[in-house]
Amino acid sequence: MRKFTRYILQKFSWYLLAFFLALFLNFLLPRLVPGDPISVLVSQMMSGAVTSEAQERVYQSFIQEFGLDKPFFVQFFTYVGNVFKGNLGTSFSLYPLSVNKIMADALPWTLFLQFPAIIVGWIVGNLLGAFAAYRKGNFDRILFPVALFINSVPYYCLAIILLYIFGVYLRWFPIGGGYSRTLLPSWSWPFIVDVLHHYFLPFISIVLVTIGGQAIGMREMAIYELNTDYVTYCKMLGMGDRKIQSYVFRNAMLPQITGLAISLGTMVGGSLITEIVFGYPGIGSTLFNGIRRLDYPLIQGSTLIIALTVLAANFIIDMVYGLVDPRIKAAQVEGS
Amino acid sequence: MKKAVLTCFLVLVLALGGVAFGQQVQIPREEALYVAGFQWGPPTTDNPFTGSPMTFVSNPRQHIWIYEPLFTYDGLLTGDFVPILGESFQWRDDLTLEVKLNPNAYFHDGEKVTADDVVYSYKLGQKYPIGYSSVWDWLEDVYKEDDQTVIFKMKADNPNKLMVEDGLGAAYIIPEHIWAKVEEDAGNDITEIRKFDNKDPIGSGPYRVYYESPETIILERVDDYWGVVLYDGELPRPKYVVHPIFKSNDEGNLAFENGEVDLSQQFMPRIWECWENKGLPIGTWYKEIPYHVPATMPSLWFNVNKPPLDNPELRRAIAYCIDYAKISELAMSNYSPKVEASLIVPYGAQAKYFNKELVKQEGWEYNPEKAVEILEGELGAKKGSDGIYVLPDGTRLGPFKAECPYGWTDWNAALEIVAQSAKAIGIDIETSFPDAPVAYDNRETGNFDMTMWTPSEPSPAQPWLNFQIVLHSKGVPEYGKIAYRNFGRYKNERADELIDLIPTVTDEAELKKLYDELDSIYRKDVPVIPLMYRPWVFYEYNETYWKGFPNDDNPYAPGMPGVGAGIKILWHIEPAK
Repeated sequence: MRKFTRYILQKFSWYLLAFFLALFLNFLLPRLVPGDPISVLVSQMMSGAVTSEAQERVYQSFIQEFGLDKPFFVQFFTYVGNVFKGNLGTSFSLYPLSVNKIMADALPWTLFLQFPAIIVGWIVGNLLGAFAAYRKGNFDRILFPVALFINSVPYYCLAIILLYIFGVYLRWFPIGGGYSRTLLPSWSWPFIVDVLHHYFLPFISIVLVTIGGQAIGMREMAIYELNTDYVTYCKMLGMGDRKIQSYVFRNAMLPQITGLAISLGTMVGGSLITEIVFGYPGIGSTLFNGIRRLDYPLIQGSTLIIALTVLAANFIIDMVYGLVDPRIKAAQVEGS
Repeated sequence: MKKAVLTCFLVLVLALGGVAFGQQVQIPREEALYVAGFQWGPPTTDNPFTGSPMTFVSNPRQHIWIYEPLFTYDGLLTGDFVPILGESFQWRDDLTLEVKLNPNAYFHDGEKVTADDVVYSYKLGQKYPIGYSSVWDWLEDVYKEDDQTVIFKMKADNPNKLMVEDGLGAAYIIPEHIWAKVEEDAGNDITEIRKFDNKDPIGSGPYRVYYESPETIILERVDDYWGVVLYDGELPRPKYVVHPIFKSNDEGNLAFENGEVDLSQQFMPRIWECWENKGLPIGTWYKEIPYHVPATMPSLWFNVNKPPLDNPELRRAIAYCIDYAKISELAMSNYSPKVEASLIVPYGAQAKYFNKELVKQEGWEYNPEKAVEILEGELGAKKGSDGIYVLPDGTRLGPFKAECPYGWTDWNAALEIVAQSAKAIGIDIETSFPDAPVAYDNRETGNFDMTMWTPSEPSPAQPWLNFQIVLHSKGVPEYGKIAYRNFGRYKNERADELIDLIPTVTDEAELKKLYDELDSIYRKDVPVIPLMYRPWVFYEYNETYWKGFPNDDNPYAPGMPGVGAGIKILWHIEPAK
């Protein structure tokens, strides 16, 4: 067990390093983009006839408030200090909202979209893949290329195609937003129906891609398992098809479960562009708007949350692997 | 098992309860006026002193629903001030403006609007850098003479009647009894005052905030609004004003066509098709071209010190080569009438200073042959093998970059046409559409060949203000530093003199003469070229639920969708059903 503790510590320090690197890049990259985010804020605030002198004073007051007049590294360490206090700063473009609040509003939408889509896509994809492996024949001949096709199309292209056909051309679904602007959010049926109406296209675009990938993976695994010795042995014992299938399914599932864990772990940053394409509220749309307005704190906040969830998911997977697979643990400990 | 049943039951009760509750929240359509086009992002705060507050507290010149200014200026229809909290004003002498207040006014919480509140509100702009601080460039003091009278005293060394009058509509009068405490809690620090969220703002206007979310803003009528005395004792007709926050123009325009929105400020191309082809009960100010009332002039600004663009003849050649009609047609959906070679907009209140003969004599219009004539004749340029002119000193005419923010689709289209027009005669102009922070920065620091911007809005200080913003060189910082006007760093001593002189002149004949001279200087040097006229705000109404909106046939209020002097509309419309 002590060895395992060492393994954990080792992994943890690597992840901590990666985290600090991410923190630094989050801070640095937005600032490398040319442009002045404050001038847009100032010009929004002043309307009509204004003199340069007054505008300059307003400009300076914002520069001071955001600490943009301080040297680069002072700004950076202030930022890191605030992050550890759980304060992501004040947004420029949505001034004076705090980035914490914006993230708290956006995150549920992203999870609401991604989590069910990944689960549904995963279950359906695996069932289809397994089914194709057993049934072979025409079902497989059709399913396999279709799945391959869907899986090869970038998910955002699929999103745009869906949006065009069902939203713009057929007008079956709304072309953007989380719900109609003319309805008030409430637990009323019209509103729930409306939310689902807006939900469908982005949801299905992620589900389809997930199904494609999962079905291919599951089909390969199941075919491999079907040709193993234990299946032949079971058949010779005269076991029922159902029973054998359940064994095969269970064995083929193992890598698929890892895949699911990774998808769930990276779901916050998983399909940012889906949100942008459908104008769906969430982290992706928020980040996109932040970039358009060069909103440093908002970009930092979004990318930090994405980096954190990806790192945490990977860390947990590493831990579970270490527990489950002794080979990994052993290799790590020997290697050091 | 029992537990599971109980849980299911509870969930069901909660869901049904929620459904029942939810339906009560929806507001009756026939009592609500739906407006669109003022707010594009989530409302972040109700504090009017921040950069991007909820729109209904954002701009005293337009949104006078919750907070009210002293006067609002009707620059489209009459050129008059409409009294709100102020009753009247007059100049006692050259430096002293006396404003009489309406004695009936009180805030939503019942406290009277006093001369102290007015003084307090204006002095906030002196104390802190906020939206209307610039009025203090000309003011020395604002003080109360008696409960109904406030005196605005101008600086003797920098008087400007035009801008002080403009300032009468530039500030919300806020209750001192609330804000003095906010100031104190914030330690008199503007960055802290800006953080005060001002939930449920207490103003003096006809509406108050009822509901706010990232998707919708709802205002509710104040049923004991003091201002009924201004309207024969009547309240505005809509009990609610709803602003759905659409994600895009298209989404909002679709909702407007469907009658889900009654009054819209969005750019809606080819609006005439709504009534001509689709038979919808939709209207704008005019039934034919230009449909809207022109008020501002988005213009092409030159960097006038950057060779070869420092040569006014080259700028004039460009002015001749631009196909303005095409810009109006393709970029502005024909909403822009013929653009004149003048910094005076020939519509609305400032039209009286527009000198048709002079513009015709000295101005330009779309005429590519004339442009070529200038290039070859006056500049001695010769066409290179690539079809682009080269000056005698070997300078190729381009590539010049013409820039404006990405996503401003009508502006983007206008600049594309400028580039095409120029290329067609042999001047190489390329367009560049970076995101707003980059475009703003380049424009303000003078890092451009050509950029696009609107000099200014309707104001009692027009057309002086347009000249001041385009031509005045005093106080404009050098290249690399941020300038908020005269982005091309134009300099002309006579123009500076005239701009300093005009605010002190009251004789109309004299004023006309001075404006003629200024406009002639402008036409001689061409530091900017107006590309189109644009309405200050778009005005589109759908009479599915409400009828009686003003238009050219029934001009009881300016064509502004419930903002500025257009707020009168709310007292005239009535349910259509």
